[in-house]
Amino acid sequence: MDFNLSKEQSLIQQMAREFAEKSIAPAAKQIDEESKIPEEILAGMAELDLFGIPFPEEYGGADGGYDGYVLAMEQIAKVSGGVAMTMAAHTLGLGAISAFGTEEQKKKYMIPGCKAKHIVSFAFTEPGTGSDPKQITTTAVKQGDFYILNGTKRFISNANYPGAMVVFARETESGEVTAFILDKWAEGYSISEPWEKIGMHGGQLLDVYMKDVKVPADNLLGKIGQGFPILLLGIALGKIGTSTAALGGTLAALEEASKYAREKTHRGQPIAKFQAIQLKIADLAIKYETARWLCYRLGCLANDIKDPGKFAAEAALVKAYCGDNVVDAARIAVDVHGSYGLMRDYTIERVYRDAIIGPEIEGVADMQKLIVASSILRSKG
Amino acid sequence: MNVVVAMKQIPDLQQIRIRNRQPVLEDIPWTMGAIDKNALEAAVQIKEAQGGKVVLLSAGNEELEDTAKEALAAGADEALLIIDDKLDEMGSAEIAKILAAAIQRIEKIDLIIFGEGSGDNYSGQVGSRVAEILGLPQVGYASAIEVQGESLRVSRSLEDGKELVEIGLPAVITVISGINEPRIASVTQILKAGKKPKEILDLSDLALDLGEICPVKTESNLAPESDRKRVAVKSVDELVAALKGENLIGR
Amino acid sequence: MAGILIYSDKDKLARELLTVAGLIADARGWEVKAACINNARQCQLLSAAGARVYQIENPAVLPADAANVAVALKEACGKLDCSIVLLSSDRRGRELAGRLAQVLGAGCLTDISAVKVEGEQIHCQRNALGGATVATQYIDGEKQVLAIVPRAFAPAPDRDGGSIDELQVEVPPSRIKLLEFQAKDSSSANIEEAPVLVVAGQGLNSQEDLAAVESLAQKLGGELACSKPLATDKKWLPEDRVIGLSGKKCQPDLAVLLGISGQVQFTVGIRDARVIVAVNSDENAYIHQMADYSMVADLHQIVKELNDALA
Ligand SMILES: Cc1cc2nc3c(=O)[nH]c(=O)nc-3n(C[C@H](O)[C@H](O)[C@H](O)COP(=O)(O)OP(=O)(O)OC[C@H]3O[C@@H](n4cnc5c(N)ncnc54)[C@H](O)[C@@H]3O)c2cc1C
Ligand SMILES: Cc1cc2nc3c(=O)[nH]c(=O)nc-3n(C[C@H](O)[C@H](O)[C@H](O)COP(=O)(O)OP(=O)(O)OC[C@H]3O[C@@H](n4cnc5c(N)ncnc54)[C@H](O)[C@@H]3O)c2cc1C
Repeated sequence: MDFNLSKEQSLIQQMAREFAEKSIAPAAKQIDEESKIPEEILAGMAELDLFGIPFPEEYGGADGGYDGYVLAMEQIAKVSGGVAMTMAAHTLGLGAISAFGTEEQKKKYMIPGCKAKHIVSFAFTEPGTGSDPKQITTTAVKQGDFYILNGTKRFISNANYPGAMVVFARETESGEVTAFILDKWAEGYSISEPWEKIGMHGGQLLDVYMKDVKVPADNLLGKIGQGFPILLLGIALGKIGTSTAALGGTLAALEEASKYAREKTHRGQPIAKFQAIQLKIADLAIKYETARWLCYRLGCLANDIKDPGKFAAEAALVKAYCGDNVVDAARIAVDVHGSYGLMRDYTIERVYRDAIIGPEIEGVADMQKLIVASSILRSKG
Repeated sequence: MNVVVAMKQIPDLQQIRIRNRQPVLEDIPWTMGAIDKNALEAAVQIKEAQGGKVVLLSAGNEELEDTAKEALAAGADEALLIIDDKLDEMGSAEIAKILAAAIQRIEKIDLIIFGEGSGDNYSGQVGSRVAEILGLPQVGYASAIEVQGESLRVSRSLEDGKELVEIGLPAVITVISGINEPRIASVTQILKAGKKPKEILDLSDLALDLGEICPVKTESNLAPESDRKRVAVKSVDELVAALKGENLIGR
Repeated sequence: MAGILIYSDKDKLARELLTVAGLIADARGWEVKAACINNARQCQLLSAAGARVYQIENPAVLPADAANVAVALKEACGKLDCSIVLLSSDRRGRELAGRLAQVLGAGCLTDISAVKVEGEQIHCQRNALGGATVATQYIDGEKQVLAIVPRAFAPAPDRDGGSIDELQVEVPPSRIKLLEFQAKDSSSANIEEAPVLVVAGQGLNSQEDLAAVESLAQKLGGELACSKPLATDKKWLPEDRVIGLSGKKCQPDLAVLLGISGQVQFTVGIRDARVIVAVNSDENAYIHQMADYSMVADLHQIVKELNDALA
């Protein structure tokens, strides 16, 4: 067992840190206030291959593995939850196409995706169902060489950008949940106003309305009725991103709290001298380190998934932990700041709002725990 | 245009901790010096405009093969590395001779670019020494380099002004960090760096005559004692005297 | 008798080098020699400070061409029997140092901020590890090129015993062509780059008092800056002069902080200054604790006295 990063891994980490600090951090407040990521930032990320890290070169990716993805995501998420969310949802969508797509589908959708000419979405949540995909009501009706999709998807990240959307619908002939690749902005596709959420501003979240959207039969992802396993693995891969986004927030909490503790003085000495503050800093370090190694390991596991069910349980465990963990960490870091921590002038205020998204996104924490428990009880059973 | 860029491998300065005034260097990763990144970027820009190649040249301990990947990712086409653990103990004079000997092995070199000083020692001697050994003209502290046929127009930035000079090729240039913003290597470039061509030599491969060298010896290397003096000053005269003592006024 | 030679293209730095050379020469019973290249005014200045000056007049020796200056100085060292050369560690001097050391086969140290003669050795202090440490180093050998940080030593005072002689040196034609020199224009304010900052805080009584503070900044060769309330609340100064969390982070050689309490949002912007002077009428103000020199006093009075003292 060796917990050291290779030179390449640490260069990926450094590169992402440098880009995050130089190009994203100065705009992070603006992104938060305007709920919009400047074009140059997305373009800059594209140039550095940050939108295609784990995918094969032949499909436009960087072949950097999910371990490389995790290392980069952590640094991006540290400075902006909104940018991290965009990157995570995109990579989730591409991950599903990469795992289940045909050669043609991969060529057609992954290359522009990895190069960030397209920003990809992954749509399963509906107004009536989030945690329970079996309740999906969107329909796909076969009509010649096409499927006609109708329905509403809720809380879909990146639905405003052009590009592919992996969408789950009930294929009416079989009655089974099935995945399709849809070109966003095809005829009949429309979106709501962006949701105004508590944090991760800049990460766009919209509802998607599909009214008689014609999807070529070639765009069936996997097989009819394979929707559930695709969803399971897709989301499991997606949890690498959301867990690591939470990890980045945890790191931000640790750094902001430590910085403030050294700067803020009380009766002439930095508050870092007080044991009560020291205990909080130690708690933050523990939270960061535990989340870090869980995420790094999950990234490595994802490079070679043998048993999707087992991987899904691993991912659920990491997501459950990291999601709650970042909220606790941000809360502790706010405490270190006192009332100042609630002011927009302090980064921790934003980190706190971004953190709160962590447990809810991509399946609430309790659902993750149910997946973990059932995998344990089943295998021991 | 074939450009050689010299890189010094240095300990990552941000990670150095001080214990009992001593710098703790164990377990500090090695990295490419900061201004060397500007030197490399300048070379890559010239290559992109003029064609040719950028050769990374570096002498250092066994970590160098890994550290060189930083430069290969950021645009160097190939590397010539002199790897020997003895190099860590050597001073600027010795290193300059080694680099010059290595440069003489490379065919057709038009330009050699250094950073104005290394990130750790910042002594700024090596570029000048190499230029002298190779009998080349030099311009230090370049803030812009423009190729004009067989010569360069170099703007150099000095404390009291800016100077524009013309220098024939081949030549040695040292650059300041303000000359450019080094590009950040993409994931793909990082992952391909290790696959670029490289030649690795050890000291015995170079026909070296270290000759007459007056070596630099280090008596001590300690962190400065306390941050702030916290001297209570009672009068303006006292303050003026104190600032004079710090060479801050009357200059 | 061996000797020590000094050279800088800048008059003022050359006078500083004389001070350092004096330390070494006294310890060894040597004499201090100075090379002046194409600079008659500097010859006068240095001989007035007691140096034996050697005037080199040769248009082929351009300060812009370190290679030729090195050749000229090598010849001078040979003719004048000097084994140690002191240069200024400004950019020109540092560039020259390596080249000259290589021509002479000498050891070389640059950026030297302090010098102490210890028997045979000349112990030099310089920053190492990017400034994390200060190293004491010496050159083991006779031939030495030492480049001294500007302003680390006071310029040598006037003294008798100086002389000026001509010295002929041969150099090859220069391979550098100087096309243009543009002296720095000092009108635009850039508090991040200013070597000295005089910073006004809410202790300042009125906008009218700014004039005296600004004049002090000028006398110290620096810029006027302020704490945030002075710009955002009182609007006495533009926001680009604010230091701190929401302002600029500066690291001048000298920061003079006037009427500033030292809230952390301010101090983050100035704590990397080399020397901090604080003037605050409240002896418990935190700013006194992060100052090198602190005065418990009315800033208006101090500004006035300083302006007079530096007039
Ligand atoms: C920022 C953000 C981005 C998002 N991006 C996307 C996206 O790109 N694509 C997409 O499809 N969706 C996206 N979502 C939606 C998100 O994945 C869902 O909101 C999430 O899966 C939870 O579903 P829900 O909100 O409907 O909660 P529900 O499923 O209604 O759950 C509500 C509560 O009931 C509990 N609960 C539910 N079922 C059970 C059960 N069987 N047993 C016990 N407890 C149960 C849950 O634990 C939870 O506490 C995003 C959400 C956010 C906030
Ligand atoms: C989110 C946030 C961001 C901020 N960002 C910045 C920032 O970037 N920069 C910044 O400066 N501030 C910033 N502040 C404000 C900061 O907290 C302080 O309020 C501010 O620095 C105080 O400025 P001051 O020291 O000039 O004023 P005060 O705190 O009012 O101090 C004035 C001092 O002058 C002394 N004094 C009074 N009269 C005299 C006299 N005649 N002679 C000598 N001394 C006298 C007093 O003893 C007192 O110590 C920020 C605050 C917040 C909440």
